[in-house]
Amino acid sequence: MIQLKSLCKVIDNSGALLVECINVLGGARHASLGDEIVCVVKKARPLAVETGPSSSSAAVAKLKKGEVGRGLVVRTRKEVRRLDGSYVRFDDNAVVMLNKQGQPLGNRVLGAVANECRQKRWAKIISMAPKVV
Amino acid sequence: MFVRNDSKCFRFCRSKCHKNFKMKRNPRKVKWTKAFRRAAGKDMTIDTTLEFEKRRNIPVRYDRSLMATTLKAMKRVAEIKAKRDRVYYKKRISAGGKKDHEKTRNLVDVQRNIELVGSKDLQRRVLESQVVEQQGDRMDTEKN
Repeated sequence: MIQLKSLCKVIDNSGALLVECINVLGGARHASLGDEIVCVVKKARPLAVETGPSSSSAAVAKLKKGEVGRGLVVRTRKEVRRLDGSYVRFDDNAVVMLNKQGQPLGNRVLGAVANECRQKRWAKIISMAPKVV
Repeated sequence: MFVRNDSKCFRFCRSKCHKNFKMKRNPRKVKWTKAFRRAAGKDMTIDTTLEFEKRRNIPVRYDRSLMATTLKAMKRVAEIKAKRDRVYYKKRISAGGKKDHEKTRNLVDVQRNIELVGSKDLQRRVLESQVVEQQGDRMDTEKN
């Protein structure tokens, strides 16, 4: 249940750490697992010194504080019903940052991700996650 | 199902368990849980019948005859398990159980307060048995 003003943890290496939801895409009142939101970066990872041979991290677009981007909800505290009648609930609200085309900004996902994203055309992000629940 | 941030999944059998989990109780310290009973030696833990109850991550193609034999085996295993459980329980209770404890305590009581007994004859007999016991103890210590 992510709505306006909800704070979410960012669990990829896009540079953002904490984002605030400013819009739920798709006309829904709340965003749930596998839904897209528009969010603003509230807290970002401090910028690394650029004089290193870190070519891989240079390829990743780094988000800064105050930037607006899209995020995919991958974990929610609110329980979500599955088709078999069971409910799944997480410890926190978490998103993975996306660009406007729906491609992930980072190239790594850290932590568990809900399986619900797979059904909603987010198989790519699922494949990046170390653990799918 | 609750998924913790270290991606450990918790499935709760009933809301009582869920509430206790939210209270951050340790199941090994809560008396009514299976975890406690196992940890405290109240239930069987090492037994071949318990080996059947395991999650096997190998999918098996459906086979009617296999299903039938499995169902038969499940009944038989449950039977054996119940029998062994009973034996385990009996052993646990009889060894250092309540009854034994009470008996020894009563004996000590009788021997200490023997002068309260009315009949002299009974008193003498009890005292004699005590002496014999003590002698027997001494003999044992000498042997050792």
